[in-house]
Amino acid sequence: MSLFNGFNISASGLTANRMRMDVVSANIANANTNRAELVDGEWMPYRRKTVELSQNGASPFANQLQSVINRGNTSVSGVKVSEIKEDETPFTLSYEPEHPDAGEDGYVRSSNVDPLKEMVDLMSATRSYEANVTALNASKSMFMKALEIGK
Amino acid sequence: MSIFPKSLESMEQALSASTLRQRVHSANIANVDTANYKSKKVDFQAALDTAMNNQSLSSYKTNDRHLSFSNESSTDKTEILTNSSTKYNNNGNNVDMDVEMAELAKNQLWYNAVTERVNGKLNSLSSVINGGR
Repeated sequence: MSLFNGFNISASGLTANRMRMDVVSANIANANTNRAELVDGEWMPYRRKTVELSQNGASPFANQLQSVINRGNTSVSGVKVSEIKEDETPFTLSYEPEHPDAGEDGYVRSSNVDPLKEMVDLMSATRSYEANVTALNASKSMFMKALEIGK
Repeated sequence: MSIFPKSLESMEQALSASTLRQRVHSANIANVDTANYKSKKVDFQAALDTAMNNQSLSSYKTNDRHLSFSNESSTDKTEILTNSSTKYNNNGNNVDMDVEMAELAKNQLWYNAVTERVNGKLNSLSSVINGGR
């Protein structure tokens, strides 16, 4: 039924935005992690993770197929997290020769997480989540109204 | 003679068009942060035309004894348009949240109004069936 489909679309938005919040939480939690993974016997700091969103079923072929099936109409579908990428910006360096993770030159590499960016991402994810909740509630109240037909 | 008024049928189509619009706005809102997503909207004129004229897919006839398609569902004719001309965001997304929210509220009210009218029609019908009692 097509109104339930609207529920699913909003639900996919909720899931994707909760995922974004989870990733932001992980980034903030690991902002000071100096030993995230061991590469060639050397500890690497935590790399900031970012979420890439894409339209559900957005491969060019799926789009084309849907538009042929719907006689030229574009399809409507929800959103999905297609990839969690690592931010490739360089690690921050600070001169602390007494630090156990300091290199031979006395510099310590720490994670490339910028708390400011994370907070902005968090706000954006929260607002999008709220918007999806509003859309879901709208669909729900329409459905409740439809149940009243013939009463 | 049919006991159900003709207007009930067009209202039914109005409701399904409204459902489709709800779905499209939900999808736009869900994809508000998707890179390169372009906002979609339901072609209201087409939806109105189908609801008003109760017309469905017309068949191409070379002989007037040919059968016409009568059981095509009307929402198939409503078109979903993609607005790819504007650019709203840095990531190529052009969903305008304010517009989407306003349209969502509008659509909801419209749906409620049509439902109300369907109920009114059915109530007067049942009043007729019960002989005014």
